[in-house]
Amino acid sequence: MSALMLQLAGPLQAWGSAARFARRTTENAPTKSGVIGLLAAAQGRDRTEDLSDLTALDFGVRIDQPGTRVRDYQTAHHLDTDRSMPVSERFYLADAVFVAAVAGDDALIDRLHDAVRAPVYLPYLGRRSCPPARPIDLGVRAAAGLEDALLAEEWHAAAWYQRKRRTEPTASLTTLVDAAPGDARADSRRDMPLSFDPLHRRYALRGVRIHTVEVANPWARRPAAPDHDPTSLLGGD
Amino acid sequence: MSRTILDLHVLQTVPPSNINRDDTGAPKTAVYGGARRSRVSSQAWKRATRMAFDDLLDAGELGVRTKRVAELLTERIHKIDTSIEEREAWTLAAETVQAATGSKIEVPKRKADAAKKNGQPDPAPESAYLMFLSARQLDALAELAVEGRADIKAFLKDNKKRAKELADTRHSVDIALFGRMVADGADVNVDAAAQVAHAISVHPVENESDYYTAVDDENPDEETGAGMIGTVEFNSATLYRYAALDVDLLSRNLGEGLREDEPVTEPLRRAVEAFVRGFVESLPTGKVNTFGNHTLPDAVIVKLRRTRPVSFVGAFEEPVALGSGHVREASQRLAEYVGEVEAAYGLADDTETWVLRVGPNTVKLADLGTELPLGELVTAVGTATAERSAPTA
Repeated sequence: MSALMLQLAGPLQAWGSAARFARRTTENAPTKSGVIGLLAAAQGRDRTEDLSDLTALDFGVRIDQPGTRVRDYQTAHHLDTDRSMPVSERFYLADAVFVAAVAGDDALIDRLHDAVRAPVYLPYLGRRSCPPARPIDLGVRAAAGLEDALLAEEWHAAAWYQRKRRTEPTASLTTLVDAAPGDARADSRRDMPLSFDPLHRRYALRGVRIHTVEVANPWARRPAAPDHDPTSLLGGD
Repeated sequence: MSRTILDLHVLQTVPPSNINRDDTGAPKTAVYGGARRSRVSSQAWKRATRMAFDDLLDAGELGVRTKRVAELLTERIHKIDTSIEEREAWTLAAETVQAATGSKIEVPKRKADAAKKNGQPDPAPESAYLMFLSARQLDALAELAVEGRADIKAFLKDNKKRAKELADTRHSVDIALFGRMVADGADVNVDAAAQVAHAISVHPVENESDYYTAVDDENPDEETGAGMIGTVEFNSATLYRYAALDVDLLSRNLGEGLREDEPVTEPLRRAVEAFVRGFVESLPTGKVNTFGNHTLPDAVIVKLRRTRPVSFVGAFEEPVALGSGHVREASQRLAEYVGEVEAAYGLADDTETWVLRVGPNTVKLADLGTELPLGELVTAVGTATAERSAPTA
């Protein structure tokens, strides 16, 4: 079992899970369908191709830098008549950094690693106009499990963001990881892709467990002096 | 299989302007590197690029985006056979487009009702969605419609596959680059070969507001004062603009050469040249008459790669400081960052690079690649792309 680690960073990203029609929202972290779609596209799979090997992979993300939400208002004009078309609202996450991981069979993970380094279709972060700001592959880790891989990964937030939090020796990062089957405490989201067929897109529910992991902050100040109360030496009541 | 990806990086300064605004009239922004930046959406710049194609390409290489496909096709049907009466041509056109795209072509109910009320005959049928068809596709569909004139329904039943193929090959340059969505007929969708990022400023930006008054020239008697007042928001920015082009996909979308006597990569070369020039020279037109912000880029970097595109927006994650002009520092940052990223990911060796730059502020970029003025750069990039994509004998 190994895990492919991906870094999803860019000025804008958009990870919709329930977006339809003119209002296109985004979740606060990459969706399984978004990341599986990115990997399938990197491999050059057709939209109608079978995805079951990819959806069977364990999936998790870590929010290294949450970013902020941007609302984009988009108009379109008819080219012939110049009449305006329905306005659409699109939401983006600006300034966010995520680490996503997929874990499973070694051979498949290696193939996916090759694919993200030489993608057949150009990668984007949830929406075509959101290219990644840095190369997305962080490499393959031998991992006992997905959560270990996410815990061991260094903090990928931007330097300015890490510096801003230099009073904290470690950063608490939220992780969203596939829940074990039957986990009653899991959240559910409809972002498990069954088919990307444009005529018949289908998504199933997926259980998600939300945790927090602590990672070292490379910009942390040296730890403050330990608690020291000289009067305690004096004793007495 | 050889793989070709082109990426395009532009630094462009725009003075006070509002080229792309949100619903409150303010210039669009986004936060990056913790600082608010000016932003121009990808859609706005793609549209500007497509508009520039009108001057760069023949009409036959471009597409039309319209609901009025029946009327458009009727014009072409009449070119083939003037004897066909307009109403019959509308029906031929509607049936043919319906067979080719799977989208219903009918008279919109509202227009039909209005015509009935006014005692007029039915107007031309339309598609429910904007259809994006190339001139070559429309010509071919018109021919098909005329061929099946005798009994169009039966004819199309037998030739449905042919009709579909006509609408799904030899796409126009703009469709091949920016894609097409036919909401009903997903099998004639085209995946866009170009990816355009939102342009963002390399430095922090606060939107400013201009308060203006206008004097009523014809009103000298009454109390003096403004005939109207208002405000308009604007900002100034040095933008980093990025686009990537999947050359292999573009080549598949366009199909091979038009004529026997030209190289098979000719449509590809023309499309790449139009894209590079169109993207570099175009500017969204928002409020351009108010601000007169007609600028051209200070620097352009074009790269041909073999594995994956790379955006250099990370060079500006730490915003360039305000106050000393932005182009010089942006150029320096970019020059350093390009070297570092390409070295770190082993991308330097298989990349061909061309540079266009203006003035001493951009001198740091000179060593990144072959320096050429725009005309020669466009030709060099087009030629190199076509050579790479030519079938090896």
